[in-house]
Amino acid sequence: MPQKIEPVCGPERDAGELGDVIQRVVAEVLETMFFAEAIPSPCCHDWMGSAVSARVSFDGSHSGEMRLSTSLYAADSIACAFLGADPEEVIPAARVKVILELANILCGATLSQLWPESKLALGAPELTPAGEEFPACRLHHCFELPEGRLALCMWWSEGAGPG
Amino acid sequence: MPYSVLIVDDSPVMRSLIRRVMVLSGFEVGQCFEASDGVEALAQLKEHGVDVILTDINMPKMNGEELLRELEASGVLKSVPALVISTDATKDRILRMLSLGAEGYMSKPFSPEALREELERVLGDRDASKD
Repeated sequence: MPQKIEPVCGPERDAGELGDVIQRVVAEVLETMFFAEAIPSPCCHDWMGSAVSARVSFDGSHSGEMRLSTSLYAADSIACAFLGADPEEVIPAARVKVILELANILCGATLSQLWPESKLALGAPELTPAGEEFPACRLHHCFELPEGRLALCMWWSEGAGPG
Repeated sequence: MPYSVLIVDDSPVMRSLIRRVMVLSGFEVGQCFEASDGVEALAQLKEHGVDVILTDINMPKMNGEELLRELEASGVLKSVPALVISTDATKDRILRMLSLGAEGYMSKPFSPEALREELERVLGDRDASKD
């Protein structure tokens, strides 16, 4: 069960090590594999009603879930960059697959940075319904992308599961 | 000399990216085969000879660990190096995959240059051991 902890959002409210890791990982993943710059930004969720959202669960020495939302234009841009395709060539199904891959890479990279000595298994990334709000979580950050916005939240419990 | 490659990943967009990144990096790709899991990979290897295998870990039907075990048991890894590409960069996972016979491990995210360097290292080591 996710722990009910008040979310923290944006660099001004979470200057701790965990927040630094999240910001570094998001920036590196977006730049290296999706050719986009992600800049930490204050929270603003008014775009999330039409967002493309995904979640990835994880289990092992830490158990929990990461959720990711990207604004529609950002999702298009990310998919085009990842696939090396023009916007008119990217069908919605391909866009969804790219966002699922982004969620998968972000979750794996974040967990590996946070707990490199751990034993963890990631679940398959899944789409979440558009407009679904983030639950209370232990880490939450928003980012500005060249073509829109990205928000990420994560919760976990420690010592659960095998490993 | 172009190298023939087998990419094993259940995500078609990831397979596409890996193929594109190899080309972008300047790595000489000849024939490029794809499989969405270990079972398909083994079938592809029966039909086609390849120089290197790039495999994900988490896949349905037969995952990357099971694939490496099969490849080790059948002797394929003696002649064809396997490089694991995964989001999981925990020490335990990396050591486990290397102990199963993988010759290299790339964690995502990776740059085109990093992938090329790792491919050249793996293939160079293999070529050197043949001499």
